[in-house]
This record gives sequence, structure tokens and C-alpha cells, in this order.
Amino acid sequence: MIFKRSDIPGEDIKRAMSMADKRRQLIEETPATPLVYDYGVNRLARSLHPGIVKAKISNKEQCGSDSCRITLSAVQGKFPYFRAGQFITLSSKVNDSFISRPYSIASSPKEALEGKIAIIVQKKGIFADYLINEAAIGTELSVGEPSGDFYHDDLRDQNHILAIAGGSGITPFISMMKAIKEGSEDFRLTLVYGIRKKEMMLIDPDEYKDERIRIITVLSDEEREGYRHGFINTEILKEFLDDKTNVFMCGPDAMYNFVSKQLDELGFDKTRIRKERNSVGDRKVEESKTYKLTVHIRDEVYELEAKNEETIITAMERAGIPALVRCRNGSCGFCHSRVIKGDYFISRENDFRRSADKKFNYIHPCSTYPESDLEIEIPIFNV
Amino acid sequence: MNRYDVVVIGAGNGGLAAACTVLNAGKSCLVCERHNIPGGFATSFVRGRFEFEASLHEFNGIGTPEQPGSTRELFEQLGVADKIEWIQLKDAYHLISEKEGYDYVMPFGYEAFAKANNQLDLNGEKYIREFFVICQQIRDAMAYISESKGHPDPQVMMEKYPDYLACGSYSVNEAFEALGYPKAIVDNLNTYWCYLGADGNSMSFLHYANMIYSYFSKGAAIPKHRSHELSLAFEQTIHEKGGEIWYNSEVTKILTDENKHVCGVQLSDGRIIETRHVIANCSPHLVYGKMMDPTAVPEKALKLTNYRKFAGRGFTVFLGLNRSPEELGLKDHNYFIYDTSNSVDQYASMARFGNTAAQATVVLNNADPDCSPEGTTIMYMTTLFTSDVWSDVEEKDYFNKKNEVARAMIERFEKATGVDIKDHIEELAIATPETYARYCGHPQGVIYGYESQYYDGLMNRIQMVEEDHFVPGLRIGGGYGERLLGYPSSYKSGNNEAKRTLRDMEKEGD
Repeated sequence: MIFKRSDIPGEDIKRAMSMADKRRQLIEETPATPLVYDYGVNRLARSLHPGIVKAKISNKEQCGSDSCRITLSAVQGKFPYFRAGQFITLSSKVNDSFISRPYSIASSPKEALEGKIAIIVQKKGIFADYLINEAAIGTELSVGEPSGDFYHDDLRDQNHILAIAGGSGITPFISMMKAIKEGSEDFRLTLVYGIRKKEMMLIDPDEYKDERIRIITVLSDEEREGYRHGFINTEILKEFLDDKTNVFMCGPDAMYNFVSKQLDELGFDKTRIRKERNSVGDRKVEESKTYKLTVHIRDEVYELEAKNEETIITAMERAGIPALVRCRNGSCGFCHSRVIKGDYFISRENDFRRSADKKFNYIHPCSTYPESDLEIEIPIFNV
Repeated sequence: MNRYDVVVIGAGNGGLAAACTVLNAGKSCLVCERHNIPGGFATSFVRGRFEFEASLHEFNGIGTPEQPGSTRELFEQLGVADKIEWIQLKDAYHLISEKEGYDYVMPFGYEAFAKANNQLDLNGEKYIREFFVICQQIRDAMAYISESKGHPDPQVMMEKYPDYLACGSYSVNEAFEALGYPKAIVDNLNTYWCYLGADGNSMSFLHYANMIYSYFSKGAAIPKHRSHELSLAFEQTIHEKGGEIWYNSEVTKILTDENKHVCGVQLSDGRIIETRHVIANCSPHLVYGKMMDPTAVPEKALKLTNYRKFAGRGFTVFLGLNRSPEELGLKDHNYFIYDTSNSVDQYASMARFGNTAAQATVVLNNADPDCSPEGTTIMYMTTLFTSDVWSDVEEKDYFNKKNEVARAMIERFEKATGVDIKDHIEELAIATPETYARYCGHPQGVIYGYESQYYDGLMNRIQMVEEDHFVPGLRIGGGYGERLLGYPSSYKSGNNEAKRTLRDMEKEGD
């Protein structure tokens, strides 16, 4: 025997034998008062992550010549504080479909605490048409909680952001500029705003006067005094780039391709560029095909048709299945689903699945196209 | 289907193991999980071109196929072992402790570790060999107690396991004091204390010795595809055996009948599932305090649960760096960076907001060079808060507060190692107690269940497990269970509670 603590023979073992009795006694002495399980941290978690909030359209106003600014007010639950640059996902039944779309938030985090979130909707697509032309003031929508990593982070990013916006891609930067002016963010933002014509502008730069904010508007389709003309090229970019700058981009993919090339030419570090990802849309196929899609939600089973040029989420939306989706670009993992049987395709640039998801055959339906009849299990719309 | 033999609440490690156990016995089983993926903390997440491990630093008890550890054996029984690819870790840790001036690397392996202690003390190896003899006896004794289903023969215990009994009542600090090893050896052996999160005055020596012996003798491993691989391996097995898992499906109530026996559960959308047996893989605080009708909760359950002490609240900084470990000068996989090797002092400092007293940091690429794209590094730094300080943080201050703590941790690592991290951050995520509360619903954002306490440690919990069971038809397992926190413990606890449930069913004729 090696272990000995007490000098009294047998005492150590006797002590071990009495441990249970001592514990019994201590438990017996503890009061049987109601258990406290909800603490400040748990309440904070619910405030920051309320899940889906029911909200109504409280205001609509024309914004530029081809967009509409829509304000949402929470009716059940409350909007959380968020990071300027994040997006929300709106969901609603539209005719026989159940549609969800992500929109960058155009209002400030402070306004969310006052119960309001604004988005800017461009007149393009079925859901935009519904929001702008059909949904009246007072219409209720489901609003997913603010998400995404398109925000300034003082640990990750430099203090100067060169923000490059194309068209409605200015929206997250509007939120950032408001946050800077209100004092909840503190970084320098140089906004290079590319748009076709002045009448399409979604902001009045005079509203964002602040020593940390600078706005340069580049009109591609018209020449005007006080505005730059053409595309966002190396000439313009190099004026604002240095090694204390991160580049944030939000706009169409064509702009990303063009500006990325320009930045490459300037030798700018790719790892210092952050792009807001666009939704995954239809793909080009050689031959259009329609497959049978079987969807399990808990113990319910739905059978529907899915076209090979459309994402699985699009097929489910058209069939009116309440399918959970958030980012629509494959990155957030909210629609994580199990493939039971069948083939599918995911483009490399929109495959953000975990490596074990690939191994065990899980997909994100928002970025996945069917390549055969397909059977999947999706999570219930219940958060 | 609206009726199952068993409903498991929570698809965390304990819940997944419990479901497989129940299904193996041919019973029907539904797992209800509030989140949209399995695993609880055993998961991963993607940011940009990085996939971060959410919680696992290293897994002990796996061993090798030739020399399997106890968890590998359990995984074989449960049918998941073949689905998981393991990477064995080379070294145990790189310890940097400021106060004592320690800065050294310790290897895995009985022989290598014993010899490495000679650099700390001339007789280091001798002490470690003696310590390991005690540890081996503790393991053997625990195996014997387990085989005897909690009713060991006292005569056998006295004859074969006297050291187990002799050290059984003491804390880590009391036991090391009695063994009389030099400070440098004791400090080294104390290094893993933060994996159990209780200070040396509270933590049971049996428990701690058993854990570190497993680390040093069997080594540790990580799953190739992060811990999400473990969780999906379990999920696949559950489906293969005919079980079901429902996501975004929080159980809000455990229903009981007129005999106060479990008769079903209710989900957050109001749906009721009938069952006579529930295995809850969540906090007893939630089970007895929130999910059950107060009249069905015995006074003793309230007393025991109030008696418990919440263990550490988690905080982790996840970093995707735009340089390789070689470029940065990061050589090791596992760093422990401490202000002091005195766990009591460390524990006390960790009650304060913004402290950087202790961190366990992993450089994942040094175990798995393919875990991120070439020229990049994944690292994560974890600490615990030993008090509920995050409950005072307000919503609008939250983002700044978490960055403040993360920055301090990164700077602490930089200072200890001389490596520049801050200039190379490409992706960053921070998990705070709020994050853990959000995903897993734990009170205060606790990640370690109920803390190992002097009278509420491993030995007492195992010995009194039937006394701690109160509601017919309800078993509680996982990180809050009798084997305390940690990956192997949670799986084992889920497995044990499922076996007890099967025995309950047999007795009750279900």
C-alpha cells in the first residue's frame, strides 16, 4: 500500500467509507426551494437570438428610382441588437408558395432596440413584387434574426474599411454609416458607391456627414459634375488603399469579378477582402429535367416536383412547404438537411458544408440542385 | 407515430449514446433536439474558408484499435466506431506558467512521460511511476465496482484496492500533499486541472488521477472531421437502427400520470408524444425546475439539485489566421497558458470579468495539417468563468464586451509565446457564456455541468446513483450526470442511464 495521509491506522479508509453519509447529510440540510434555472445570461441569449420574430410592415417609401424602403415593426417578440452590416430573412406565404428572402438591414442597431428594422427592396423578382406591390401596410411577415459576418470587427479588421457598393449593395453600408454616426461603431469608412445613374441613388450623401465617413459616387451610365464616371477601377481604388485598410464589397457578382481583378492588379492581399455573398439562383443546364423530390419533416412526408436548374429550396417554396432557410447562399447552415437517397450538385463556391456533412451526406438545400429523384429530411419550421 | 418506448431529450453526447443503447435493445426511440444539428457542444461551424471545432480539444479514452481505450470499446458496442476516423496526438501539452517560470512540452505515453519528469526533478521518473501504480489501482477498482453493478464486496475492496480506498476521500491537493512529491512534479501533474474545472481543494483526487492516467498512458486523439463527425456517426447509427431525431423540436414539458410516473413529453409547438420512459440529456435544473409539474417533483430532487454547484461557464476565441503555423512560429498542438500552476489561485481569478489567468489553446494544424487551406492556421483559445459575471452584460454592450475579453486572451497568448496573432486574423468567432446558453440552454452558459465538489465528486455520485434517482420513468444523463463532464464521460453517462432505463422497463413490464 502506497497511500497514507492520516497517521491513525485505518483512518484514511474509514474516512472514504463515510463520504456518502456526509453527502446525504449535506443534501438533507439544503432547502427544497424552487430551482433557479433562468439567469441574466439566458435572458441575454433570448434577447440577442429571439428566433423568428413576427413583424408587420409599418412604412413603405420610394427610394431611388427602382427601389422601395420598407420598415418593419415587431408585433410579437422584439428585434435584437445586431451588428451593422448583418441581414435578416423575411418569410411569407405568397399565393400558394411559401417564400423566404434575405435582405441586408438598412437601419441602425439602435433602431432595432426601438422596435424597427428597415430594408431596401429592389424591384426585381417575385418576392420583391409581393413586398412592393401587394403587401399593404400592416401585413405580417416572419423575420429571421439578424445574421451573417459582414460587419466591422475591431479585432479582425483594420480601422479603415474601403467599402465598395454596387447598386442596392449599398444597404449594409447604410447601416454601418448610421452606426458610426450614432456612436455604436467607431471605424473609418470610405464608401465607393457604383451606380448607373444619379436618379437611382439610394442615399443622399449629405445625410452621412461625419469626419470618419467619406462617400465617392461613381456613375457608370452618365456623366455629371461632382461625380466620378465609369467603373470602379485601379485608378479609383488605389487612392484609398493602404496596408491599414480592409476591403468590404457588396453588390452583384459581376462587380465582384471586376473589382477583384483590379485589386489583384494592385497586389492587394486577398485575405483582407470580405464579400457579402449573393443568393444562389438558377443554374444553366444542358437539358431541363424534372425529378421527384420526397421531403420528410418529422413524421410528415411531402412529394413534389423539382427542376434540375432550380435549387431544392426553390422547389420546396413553390410547393408551399414551410422550409427553413436563412442565407440562401449555402454558408449559414440553417437549412442543414439529411439526404436519404439520390444525387445532387453543389457548386464549389457555394459549398460551405462541414467536412463531416460531406462524409455523411448532408446538404444545405438553399445551394443544392437535384440531379436525380431525391429523398431528404429537413428540419421543421419551428424556431 | 405519437408513441415511443423511450424519448430522449437532447441530441448531445449523452442523448446520442442513450438513443443507440436503447435501440440496440430493440426498443423504439425518438430523440428531440432544440437545435438544428446533433451533438450539443460536439459540433463545428464554418466561417469563410475555415471549419472550426466548437469544443473538443482532445479526446482521451480512444486508444488504438490494437489497444482500445474504454470509449473506443463503448463506441464499438454502440455501432459507431467504424464510422469515425481518428488522428492520434503526439505530445500532451506545452505548459507555460508565468509565476513559476515553467515553459516545457510533455509527451504522451507512460514511459516517455515518466522520463520527461526527470527534467523537472532528479527523481521525477520515480515519483511518476509510483503515482501511476496508484492510478492503475484506481482504474481497476472502478472497473470492479462497475462490474459489481454498484455492490462491490468490501472484503475484495480491502484486499485488492487498499490505495483506492485510502485516497478515496481526499481532494487533489490533500492527496498530493500526502504523497509528498516535489512542487515541480505536483505542478506538472496539476496541468490538466482546467479540463475538469474544479480547483485542487475541491476536486476529488480519484477522479482527477483517473483522468490524467488515461491521458498519459493511452494518449489522446481527435476525430479527423471535427467533433461533428462523432455526432453525425451517432445520428447515422440511430437512423440505421430505426430511431428518429427531430430537430428544432424543444421539449418544454415532461408529463406525468396520477402515479407520478412519466407518461409523455410536450414539444414547444404543443405536440404531445406518449412515452413511459424519458432520458434527459440536459440540466436537472431545467428538468425539475422548468419541464416538470412541480407536484411531480419530490422534495429530495429539489434539495439535491439546489445542493449542486454550477461548474465553469465557457468562453472560446476561434481564429482563422492567414499564415501557416510555421510562418507564425507555432510548434505545438496544445498549449496551457497559466498565470500560476496553483489551481486554487487560478480558479479564484477566473471569477472576474476579463481575466486571462488560464487558457487552453489548440493549434489544430499541428495535429491535422489538412484542416485548413495551405498557408493558414486554425486555433482556438478556451477559458472558463468560475462565476456568473456574464449575467450582468447588457444587450447593447455585448459585442464590445466579448471582443474585450477575446483581445485580452489573444494578447496573453502573444506575450507568453512571442508569436504575433493579431495581425493575421482572417476569420474570428467568439463564443461566450451567452453563446453556450443559446445553443444548449444551460443555466448561466455552463459548459461543465455540476462542478466536482468535495462531497459531490465522481466516487460519491457513482456510489449513490440510485439514491439520486427520483421520478419513475425519468433518467438524467450527459455532462450533468454521475460521471461528470467531458466527452467520454457524457457518452458513458448516456449509455449508463439508458441501461438503467432498460432495467426499469423490464421491471415495470414495459
